[in-house]
Amino acid sequence: MAAFILSRVLYAIVVVFGVSVAVFFLVRMGGDPTSLFLPPDAPVEEIERFRQLMGFDRPLSEQYLAFLGKALQGDFGMSLRYDEPAMGLVLDRASATLTLSGSALLLSILIAVPLGILAAAFRGTIVDRISLVISLIGQSFPAFWLAIMLILLFSETFRFLPPSGRGSWENLVMPSIVLATYSTAIITRLLRSSMIEVLQADYIRTARGKGLSEWRIVMKHGLRNAAIPTITVIGLQVGALLGGAVITEEVFAYPGIGRLAIQAIANRDFTVVQAFVIVMAVTIVTINLLVDLSYGLLDPRMRNKG
Amino acid sequence: MRHILRSSLLFAAISVASLPSSAVAQDSETLVVAQPADAYSMDPAKHSAFPTANVLFQIYDALVTQNAEGEIVPALATEWTNPDPLTWRFKLRDDVTFHNGEKFDAHAVKYTFDRALDPAFKAPYFSRISAIKGVEVVDDYTVDFKTDTPYPTMLLTLYEASFPALIVPPAYAAEESGAKLAGHPVGTGPYRFVEWLKDERVVLEANPDYWGGAPEIDKVVFRPIKETRTRIAELRSGGVDVAADIPPEDVDRLDTDETKVVVVPSDFLYFFVFDTTRDTPLTNKKVRQAINHAVDVDAIQKALMNGMGERIALTLPVNGFAYDPTWKPYAYDPEKAKALLAEAGYPDGFTIKMMSRKGRFLKDAEIIEASAGFLAQVGIKAEIEYLEPGVWGQVSEKKGREGIIFPGWSGRDPNLVWYPLLKSGLYQSYFSNGELDALLDAGAATIDAEERKEIYSKAAAIIKDEAPHLPMIQPPLIFGLNKSLVWTPRSDGIIDLRGAHFE
Repeated sequence: MAAFILSRVLYAIVVVFGVSVAVFFLVRMGGDPTSLFLPPDAPVEEIERFRQLMGFDRPLSEQYLAFLGKALQGDFGMSLRYDEPAMGLVLDRASATLTLSGSALLLSILIAVPLGILAAAFRGTIVDRISLVISLIGQSFPAFWLAIMLILLFSETFRFLPPSGRGSWENLVMPSIVLATYSTAIITRLLRSSMIEVLQADYIRTARGKGLSEWRIVMKHGLRNAAIPTITVIGLQVGALLGGAVITEEVFAYPGIGRLAIQAIANRDFTVVQAFVIVMAVTIVTINLLVDLSYGLLDPRMRNKG
Repeated sequence: MRHILRSSLLFAAISVASLPSSAVAQDSETLVVAQPADAYSMDPAKHSAFPTANVLFQIYDALVTQNAEGEIVPALATEWTNPDPLTWRFKLRDDVTFHNGEKFDAHAVKYTFDRALDPAFKAPYFSRISAIKGVEVVDDYTVDFKTDTPYPTMLLTLYEASFPALIVPPAYAAEESGAKLAGHPVGTGPYRFVEWLKDERVVLEANPDYWGGAPEIDKVVFRPIKETRTRIAELRSGGVDVAADIPPEDVDRLDTDETKVVVVPSDFLYFFVFDTTRDTPLTNKKVRQAINHAVDVDAIQKALMNGMGERIALTLPVNGFAYDPTWKPYAYDPEKAKALLAEAGYPDGFTIKMMSRKGRFLKDAEIIEASAGFLAQVGIKAEIEYLEPGVWGQVSEKKGREGIIFPGWSGRDPNLVWYPLLKSGLYQSYFSNGELDALLDAGAATIDAEERKEIYSKAAAIIKDEAPHLPMIQPPLIFGLNKSLVWTPRSDGIIDLRGAHFE
């Protein structure tokens, strides 16, 4: 088990390092941000002067070594726009995004797990059909469109909920629904199919033969065994939720890291983009690690293998 | 099953209950402004964005300001003279203190400009003030601004739309190498800083001791809401009182019992530039005139801008210095356009590039596509190419714009528009005419207003005839307002809440 964890952690470090190299060079491929900083009427000599002041004219390899040296000490540079530490800007907004993604994930699980189980247990019935329709809608609605429709309905027409901002639970309702829609669909479909597969296994037939109640069979023998693929997908969905938060945060003017990242990309605020991508990479790699480790808890066979 | 459902419902109930409840209460004494972006810094010399300037102008003042008629009038300075053509002498108010109690005087003015003009400070808008070669304290309430050459647009350099011109308190601004000012601003303005939750809100409170009179509204909140539909939803549901950048098509919908719309033509200029530096048909004057005749700008304005905005005859805003109301644009006349093209040797038209950014300015892409449609009717095939703003900047720097270009520009003096865009050899200029160059140089070299008007009147005649541009419109600035709010937007786009009040 220890060797397994160690190899996974090493792997995670390599991934994060690779991502940091890629983002450093990719973000600079579109050229430097000088012209975006200066007024449109700035003379060409002024553009050149500012470029040198900011060090954008230095060779990329030199800039990368400087970045790496500082990053290893935990210094990810100053935001070019905000003139503040880039990593601080990202981490300040992380709690907002985590609250949003967390409530969306919770919402997905609360809907998807019962729905998936019911659909499998009552396969082919009206319950199954309803779950199919819900999943289909969830997978095919574009987040942006859904967000605007919700705002029109709940904010403009009924005035139940504030259309944007942060500060109260009411601000979380619509963004969470938008963000949860896709994950709910995926998790429901996957749990349903895994359950159906498991419920056809020999040991389920044995359990039925023993005279256990159908409910107990589904929940204890079915769900436990169908959980592994589902948890993997839920783990992957966390990444998707954090990524999906970019659009959702923009529409609902929610002050999370996704919105910061979009602005930083448009402004070519390199240091902020780097800090954002590194934080995302670390988060996703960590979640994958936790998902891997959770297999051991769920499946005794894996626990003993390591 | 029941058990599962019950426990999940319970879980949901707990998680909802544990969150803080109730939205921020809005009352009539609070004014909430929604604009597309948040501030980047609270230091006026450290940013390069209008949304930031809109927040900061409530906190800080400049030496001069703009009145409702668009004229430059006294603010922290009471009067000004030119002892010689290279000196601008300002008398300052002696009754002003900063929010932290620091005294406003000539030393604060000198400090403000010395700070932003220091190359090590890296002010992004350095070039807007770089003509100032030095600020000299004459006495506690008199300062001299020195220039190397006569600088006719000094007043436009010292008012609030020239970002680093806002006056900062010297002692406070020096604390923590400026970090304190950048996070917790202190100015002389009508509102004091309360808090800034990044990307969420900037909260300001009225300064009862404001030298211009205490503001009527107690509290101002700036909220960044990028998505237009969300800004409108906030306005319609009463969450905000001012929503900036409303699209023309939503104007009618916002004229209700609870909301209204106010519109002013902006100082911004929409026009096409013809690249005459490369070997294309555009080097021929008749072709440029033909294009001016071929595009029905009035129809475009009516269809895309709901008729709002201001038609311009030359590339200068109608409230710009030396603008002459008798100037007339080329009339829409496709037959004449075809005749001119034939005279120029292109009876069957030609194919040309059209370059722009997309989504940068209100309806930019729609205007470009409509214009391309009009050009097609006289046989000119425009190949539209949209560049990402960052790429656009790099292409421009290398003088790489080609064909018919939609640059977007602003400037209320010919020296700020025609000089950079038409003077031979400058990197943003795609035109060359010796006679015009001489006039533009002369207009830049004197501060005598009457003399300058004469010079620019001559320059205008050449520009009209040579047609290096296709002047179109000053697009409208459209704001959605809470119906009970009394407030007038300004043509330069800067939000000034000094006179705002609720009825």
